[in-house]
Amino acid sequence: MQIEQFNYDNKIVRDFGIATIIWGLVGMSVGLLVASQLIWPQLNFLTQYTTFGRVRPVHTNAVIFAFVGNAIFMGVYYSLQRVLKARMFSDTLSKIHFWGWQLIIVASAITLPLGLTTSHEYAEMEWPIDVGIALIWVVFGINMFGTILRRRERHMYVAVWFYIATFVTVAVLHIVNSVQLPVSFWKSYYVYAGVQDALVQWWYGHNAVAFFLTTPYLGMMYYFLPKMANRPIYSYKLSILHFWSLIFIYIWAGPHHLLYTSLPTWVQSLGVVFSIMLIAPSWGGMINGLLTLRGAWDKVRTEPTLKFMVVALTSYGMATFEGPMLSLKQVNAIAHFTDWIVAHVHVGALGWNGFMTFAILYYLVPRIYKTDLYSKKLANVHFWIGTLGILFYAIPMYWAAVVQGLMWKEFTPEGVLKYPNFLATTLEIIPMHIMRATGGALYLAGAIIMTVNLVKTMRQGKLRADEAAEAAVPGPIVVHEAVRHRRLERKPVLFMVLALVAILIGGIVEMIPTFTVTSNVPKIESVRPYSALELQGRDLYIREGCVNCHSQTVRPFRSETSRYGEYSKAGEFIYDRPFLWGSKRTGPDLHRIGGKYPNKWHFDHLLDPTITSPGSIMPAYPWLITQQLDNSLLSEKMNAMRVLGVPYTADEITQAVAHAKQQAATIAEELRSNQVDVRPDREIIAMIAYLQRLGTDIKATAEDERAASTEINKRN
Amino acid sequence: MFKQITNLNGDELYLIVSLWIFLVFFISVGCMLFWMKKDHIDHMRDIPLENQENENETRG
Repeated sequence: MQIEQFNYDNKIVRDFGIATIIWGLVGMSVGLLVASQLIWPQLNFLTQYTTFGRVRPVHTNAVIFAFVGNAIFMGVYYSLQRVLKARMFSDTLSKIHFWGWQLIIVASAITLPLGLTTSHEYAEMEWPIDVGIALIWVVFGINMFGTILRRRERHMYVAVWFYIATFVTVAVLHIVNSVQLPVSFWKSYYVYAGVQDALVQWWYGHNAVAFFLTTPYLGMMYYFLPKMANRPIYSYKLSILHFWSLIFIYIWAGPHHLLYTSLPTWVQSLGVVFSIMLIAPSWGGMINGLLTLRGAWDKVRTEPTLKFMVVALTSYGMATFEGPMLSLKQVNAIAHFTDWIVAHVHVGALGWNGFMTFAILYYLVPRIYKTDLYSKKLANVHFWIGTLGILFYAIPMYWAAVVQGLMWKEFTPEGVLKYPNFLATTLEIIPMHIMRATGGALYLAGAIIMTVNLVKTMRQGKLRADEAAEAAVPGPIVVHEAVRHRRLERKPVLFMVLALVAILIGGIVEMIPTFTVTSNVPKIESVRPYSALELQGRDLYIREGCVNCHSQTVRPFRSETSRYGEYSKAGEFIYDRPFLWGSKRTGPDLHRIGGKYPNKWHFDHLLDPTITSPGSIMPAYPWLITQQLDNSLLSEKMNAMRVLGVPYTADEITQAVAHAKQQAATIAEELRSNQVDVRPDREIIAMIAYLQRLGTDIKATAEDERAASTEINKRN
Repeated sequence: MFKQITNLNGDELYLIVSLWIFLVFFISVGCMLFWMKKDHIDHMRDIPLENQENENETRG
């Protein structure tokens, strides 16, 4: 048998490793900042670039795509080469991948605070960055498939299947969720509207969790855990079963983010059923991981890498049990829009992704630097401080969620809301938020300790940039392989196609009827497109990231209709591009805010929320009063909307600026009569116009009907 | 408890078809596993551990 000599590329692994550490520290620090802003609103620093609404997406994207993203590439580039016994396909592609990804991160970190956002959660970046992500993802794919095709191991190990599924699914998710019509270089509108946009967004959002935060990490688990424990994976058959079930089922579960909204009920039910089913394959992975440690638990006592792995797997098990529970409608009714969801994602992010990333860093940095870890003791300190951090984070948030969720729903014996003022429920949970921030700070402190430890390790060793290896060249296949999966394991392209089919089925069944069957989004006659000024106001609402704290969907519960008004209907959102239903109520729902308060109230509230709501933790928006509204793109925006199907007339588009000015003058005049002197060309006027329009269209129907019935009564 | 998934006003078809698709898919994966050879499984399990010795030798 012919033996070949070759090298593993460790330099690219090291580069992604360093990026993981740096972006991890940045992402966690920004997280600590946003957590503190919810306690002390002064930390919004009264500038528009540092308000919660704009910084929160920086935190989520930094942690998901910068920290976890770089960690995935680090882990994949290390393990892929070794299980395939081949160097990465192209060093140049590896470099383009690395620098391209960092460029995308920097571009996002600059544009998001500037307010350039699409507002789709976890995909807030505007279209030029989306194009960049797609290109770099393809580079990663070519590099990975090139390596797979050049492999010296005939069959693909389970880790590689997870990497293939990750590649193909993230590509599909990213493309479908980014179909936008550009208006300018930094502004675009989604082609989907309202309910359909919500379905696409949460199909994407949920599966970003599945295929960016889960499948690549399961792949890494299947490589690194056996290496760390020095024993093979517990059950290879279980890995096959849970792989195919996981990728097949996960894709269906997105609608559980939209329970009780105006999404068609059958789609919600599909989301619930498949979410419950998801426990099985998720736990299959967790059990396979934990049982790999059978007979090696003594090592868990001494090896920090294994300690991190055990907590990572346990957190995965908890998060994947909690997820299906939260998708039960009865539980969701209380937990949705509260801090429960925040706690849930952080058990996953801090426990599963964070801890496994730390374990892998502690494992591979000494190996590629040909040395031992600088200090095991420091790694142990990191482990304990990190674990405490997770507990301090999660427990107060669960507590806060139950307290606030029940307060929202509590009625007095007389039948009125016990806490009609939303702010009272927010203030109640501030102490829990302080504890949460403490937990976050502990976790960050642990990451800093790790950084010191790894830097010292790198200093005491020397990077083995090209690690020598040898392997036998696989000869031609002479025996026919009778078992199908065995044949599949040496056919990467066929494997990718089958994985693609498995993940497409769920999306197709849920989306196509929602998009094509008109009865799924019943039309409401009185719903009209936004006026030019309201559209501008809506874009300001998007720019400021209001959706990060305020939902725009009233669920059909007595507690919500008493608090906010009539529940939301699908037909009300047909002109909403993007949809702005939100996923968290740090502040109250705004779907029925239109007409609830006078213009002056909104002016005062945006100038300084504590004027109208003493104790409010909402940031102040004084720049809306000083900045002039930019109408330069208004006609183009309306034209883009018309292309997408909004029935604006030619006159409405050409005269857009004039119409906007006319409406602004009326609002400014009304404000002046209430002793508020503001120029009509300021941004705040557009914002007020939008807020006053929200959710009022169906009230028009009610009034019209009342008028019509009085008319009929009179005639009779 | 099952009201939330059974009361769909004629849209149950989506749910039933979806579950059937999954069942067929799951059973076919199960069959594939059932007919899998033991030696192949052992070989696949050991892939990550194969270059262990090599790694330890070159480590300082």
